[in-house]
Amino acid sequence: MSRLAEEFLVSAAQKSADLTHRSTIKRNMDSYDAAVAKGKTRFANWEAARARAAQVKSEGIRNLAALLEKFEEKIIARGGHVYWAENSEDARQYVCNVAQKNNVRTVVKSKSMVTEEIHLSPALEKLGMTVWETDLGELIVQLRKEPPYHIVTPAMHLTREQIRDLFKEKIPDDMEGETHQELVAAARRFLRRAFFSAEMGISGANFLVADAGMVAISTNEGNGRLTTSLPRVHVVVTGIEKVIPRLEDLGVLWPVLATTGTGQPITTYSTLIGGPKTTDEIDGPEEFHVVLLDNGRTEVLADEAQQELLRCIRCGACLNQCPVYRQVGGHTYKSIYPGPIGSALMPIFNGQEEYGHLSYACSLCTACNSVCPVKIKLSDHLLENRHKYVEEGNSKFSEKVGFSFFRWAAMSSTRFALLGWAGRKVLRAALGLGISPHALGPLANWTKYRALADVPKDSFRALWRKQNGNH
Amino acid sequence: MATTNSARERILNRIRQANVALDPAIDSTTVDLEEIYAPIGEAMPRFLAECEANLTEVKITRDVNGSVHAFIELLGAVPEGRLYVQDDPTLRRFVDAFAGREVLWSSSGRAPEDCQVTITLCEGLIAQTGSIVSSSRAGGRGGSIIPPTHIVYATSDQLIPDITTALRKAMASDLKDASYFGLITGSSRTADIEKILVQGAHGPRKVAIVLEMR
Repeated sequence: MSRLAEEFLVSAAQKSADLTHRSTIKRNMDSYDAAVAKGKTRFANWEAARARAAQVKSEGIRNLAALLEKFEEKIIARGGHVYWAENSEDARQYVCNVAQKNNVRTVVKSKSMVTEEIHLSPALEKLGMTVWETDLGELIVQLRKEPPYHIVTPAMHLTREQIRDLFKEKIPDDMEGETHQELVAAARRFLRRAFFSAEMGISGANFLVADAGMVAISTNEGNGRLTTSLPRVHVVVTGIEKVIPRLEDLGVLWPVLATTGTGQPITTYSTLIGGPKTTDEIDGPEEFHVVLLDNGRTEVLADEAQQELLRCIRCGACLNQCPVYRQVGGHTYKSIYPGPIGSALMPIFNGQEEYGHLSYACSLCTACNSVCPVKIKLSDHLLENRHKYVEEGNSKFSEKVGFSFFRWAAMSSTRFALLGWAGRKVLRAALGLGISPHALGPLANWTKYRALADVPKDSFRALWRKQNGNH
Repeated sequence: MATTNSARERILNRIRQANVALDPAIDSTTVDLEEIYAPIGEAMPRFLAECEANLTEVKITRDVNGSVHAFIELLGAVPEGRLYVQDDPTLRRFVDAFAGREVLWSSSGRAPEDCQVTITLCEGLIAQTGSIVSSSRAGGRGGSIIPPTHIVYATSDQLIPDITTALRKAMASDLKDASYFGLITGSSRTADIEKILVQGAHGPRKVAIVLEMR
């Protein structure tokens, strides 16, 4: 078992027993559920909206090379720069070079999971730059030196009181009270200074629009607008899978993303950026860069069984619906992308050996499949990952022996009956002697949290015969 | 600047070599927009209802004089401070309404950090979501995001039924050539602390439209 897998089990046990954590998450999730249910009523046919969103994203993946080239051509024609990055290191290096060339001292960032994926902020900080996350939730977790808890709501796990205490410690001069409004106002005052002093703004992208050659960014707070408007240099770091064919496709994708993300009809600022300021414009960045990141995405594309994962629009719906995520919380995964989508992607991006265990953090209830706005069958991918995990030789020796033995036994009805008979005898004898079910080898993990059912005297087949198939 | 980095071809080659199977059932389903969204109905009542829901204040006026009064009323509720106005003949007509405030016209430069309110035009209004179509041509990028209050002057003939139509129009016009354009739907907001909605996270706490009927 990998170190991360062991840590997952410890953290999952702690978090699911932490009543404060549970109640905070429940409050957030209940609020989300109600908002999304209401949001879906704005559509005449939500399923048709999902089908269209999935179609658009599939079209993007089918024509990925041509659409990326078209997007690139338009950006360059407007005076922007496009850099294709093979991996995290490549992307980090490019952004660091741009920052150094421009003598950047302060960087403001709009929420971007891709920049988390490539660990960009630590690289910039290592060069002596100050980097500020500007989404309120991201700022909160940055001040706590924590990773985001959730891909849409990074500070979902914290209460107002915890945030109040954090701000009192970290940004006391900007505090004028402790209500929700006053805490938001404190962050606004604090970040205003960052926005107006930063030389570089870094954002992600929700979509790359090929025919218009524009980057679509959705934010509610307006931090994305300020990040992309005020600093002298704007860098977009994005995965290559974000490309969509047409501007008008956003007529469905924007409302679908907002509905599954937060329950809103549309995000407050649905922004399109195509390049640096033009000669007749009064403001905007003088330099504009787009970093198109592969980092394992072409590997996902090459796998016919898993390429639909590239349709993901990072709305967070699968996290919110997942019974495992709801109990163990976002930090337990120790993964940039937590929840079902992260459990599907991380083993592919970062290796089965380290992250393969995440595919098992799933009860296969398929709730995630039913809410995914782009119809990704996430549970299929978790099963596929489990298959790969075993194929690559990551399963435990005892598990391999156990399953081989079970396979051998199950191949013959006589052997199967004999195994059942022996199992019942041993189990009944052990329990009769007062041995705790917790000590029963492979059953220990199961019986740790559940009572062991009474062990019947007869096998299922014997009972069936006795009762002629009736209860 | 042309792209010269060596990873470009390698990434593109890997993409081209991939056999994209995906689920054919998804592609073969025909989905019309009419199936997804209920009809907008009458655009103006829908727009006003959506604005009310997203907390955008709308002042309906019948003529220029009415709009002057609407500006006076809106500015009267805004704390003292500098006013940043998009330099356009349409907005110069309302200069009387700005009396008593220091006015910075956009022709003098970008919106300053300390401006209390900005007044701009817009590229359109969307009935489906109560959105304003803004762009870098309307008071720059900063005009619609820096101040605590943003007031937009629009006319009823700018009303567009839905987002898809607005985006099609943008593609067919020179709006797509602006370095920025987008939709603004209500005021800046956050629910990052305990899912409690707070207005005025980083952008305007208040967005208002002076809507002159044509």
